[in-house]
Amino acid sequence: MLFLQSLQLVQFKNYSHQTFRFEGPVTAITGANGIGKTNVLDAIHYLCFTKSYFQSGDGMNVQHGMQGFRIEGQFTLAGEALPVSIVLRETGKKEVSCNGSLYEKFSHHIGRFPCVMIAPDDVELIIGGSEMRRSFLDTVLSQMDAVYLQQLISYNKILQQRNSFLKSCAQTQTRNNALLDVLDEQLIAAGTYIFTKRNDFLPGFNEQVLQFYSSIAGKAEPVAVTYESKLRETSLENLLQQCREKDYQLQRSTTGVHRDDLYFSMNDEPFKQTASQGQRKSLLFSLKLAEAEVLKQQKGFAPLLLLDDVFEKLDQERMHNLLNYVCSQFGGQVFLTDTHPERMKNAFADMQIPLQLIELG
Amino acid sequence: MQLHLLLQQRSNSAAVILILHPSYFRSMSFSSTLLEQAVNEFAKLPGIGKKTALRLVLHLIKQPAEETQFFADTLARMRKEIKFCTKCCNVSDTEVCNICSNIARKKQIVCVVENIRDVIAIESTQQFNGLYHVLGGVISPLDGIGPDQLTIEALLHRIKEDEVEELIFALNPNIQGDTTLFYISKKLKDQPIKITTIARGIAFGGELEYADELTLARSLQNRQPVASYVSMK
Ligand SMILES: Nc1ncnc2c1ncn2[C@@H]1O[C@H](COP(=O)(O)OP(=O)(O)O)[C@@H](O)[C@H]1O
Ligand SMILES: [Mg+2]
Ligand SMILES: [Zn+2]
Repeated sequence: MLFLQSLQLVQFKNYSHQTFRFEGPVTAITGANGIGKTNVLDAIHYLCFTKSYFQSGDGMNVQHGMQGFRIEGQFTLAGEALPVSIVLRETGKKEVSCNGSLYEKFSHHIGRFPCVMIAPDDVELIIGGSEMRRSFLDTVLSQMDAVYLQQLISYNKILQQRNSFLKSCAQTQTRNNALLDVLDEQLIAAGTYIFTKRNDFLPGFNEQVLQFYSSIAGKAEPVAVTYESKLRETSLENLLQQCREKDYQLQRSTTGVHRDDLYFSMNDEPFKQTASQGQRKSLLFSLKLAEAEVLKQQKGFAPLLLLDDVFEKLDQERMHNLLNYVCSQFGGQVFLTDTHPERMKNAFADMQIPLQLIELG
Repeated sequence: MQLHLLLQQRSNSAAVILILHPSYFRSMSFSSTLLEQAVNEFAKLPGIGKKTALRLVLHLIKQPAEETQFFADTLARMRKEIKFCTKCCNVSDTEVCNICSNIARKKQIVCVVENIRDVIAIESTQQFNGLYHVLGGVISPLDGIGPDQLTIEALLHRIKEDEVEELIFALNPNIQGDTTLFYISKKLKDQPIKITTIARGIAFGGELEYADELTLARSLQNRQPVASYVSMK
């Protein structure tokens, strides 16, 4: 089992210097709004992904008025102690190390300490723009397959080069099809790998989502997640050829796996439009728990689960179903936050699940 | 604990401890404009920050004046008189550099590199007896570098003129290196020339100049046909 024993924060967000020790598989962190509950979960996310779940810039996470931060976590995995540390130096340079050795590339860390976060604004995943759904898919697949992450990084770099090239063609009023051919070949190599992995992943993932949905909602509803990609119709090579003139005109790449999406439906109707608030939340939890489940199956151990403000999100019955599954059947370490310690204590007493309660403030 | 305290614990030199304190940077004020100007000039160099610049300038002040004069003269003359070899585009003292004019080297084999640092790295393996071609960079539209900014035309011309039989690409194994390699290979696809790339023993995304000599030497020995590295059209 993957277990985080303790966490030290130095100059991270509202924490100038703080140590947390985690004792059982379920830890609840409670306290008033603004006290720093989400920040603890985000620090754990940092340890697993080398970045924040919420902010893209590292600097935003430095305690105001300070320079640099440090996050240290003591993990154990199958009996082996694995300390991980993330240090942001005063210069803005980030260092990530595991078991005392620094990573040359942060991407090598991804997937070693799998983790799934569920936060209040995540319902955007269902109703928001497509980049959130691609990033969700990429987060799952990158944790499962290091080559996928490498190909994704390559794809994005080639795409940037290709877009810059198209812009420079417009500026200089020239074209260079020989160079575009080369950039396309590079894009095709990475893009086809990404497509194949996404496409192979979806059917099994969809089944997991369906199962979780019916156990959270307490009844079976025909929800479905499908993969939308132009590459399902024809090869990326053909697509790029078809769009070449358009791409030159618009000075950007109008086709490729960077335009893929996930489509959610219920009764064959688009989920976005027909689903109620409660149904959206059920689907969100189903997606995230399905992510956790496929990670568990692939790694042979459960990922960490970080559930932020869970009680705000679901009605009591759905909540009870969810907590019961996550805290007693899932078999991994779980972190929960809530504003009311009593509510947390009672819920766990009812379920007869032992709970470590950390009350902040 | 403050982070700069952590940093201090990690360093062993007293001078570094003093310099790393953040207030030091803010309060770097000079008693002399001459000193300040010299520090600013050094700090323009890649990889040199203000604190290193100050250390270098203070070192020069301690040296006899003639030594600094010699140092400055050497730099000025180098910049004024340096040439680019008309064959390989490497920096040179003469029209044709001493590698290109060495009759003991095989003119039919040309190793294509990004810059002079790669020439130095490969030369130090003593495993290569052909000539070089220095591209002056790699294709990277993001950095405003297209084929026309590089010495690709000169290379194509030279291949015809000198009847080059084999091109060995020794570019950094990253996306821009690949773009450049594939682009030039395509330009040569109708010509009877053998095109190889050094074996990718070096980690993808790594830098050639930082590879150890053994890895580089082995990569040269195990060079691969480009066609097997990626299937080309
Ligand atoms: N970079 C930072 N430096 C100092 N305080 C911060 C920083 N970022 C966030 N905070 C503080 O963290 C608090 C929010 O913490 P959060 O974990 O979101 O609270 P909650 O307990 O409601 O989840 C706010 O009071 C905010 O001012
Ligand atoms: Mg919060
Ligand atoms: Zn030369």
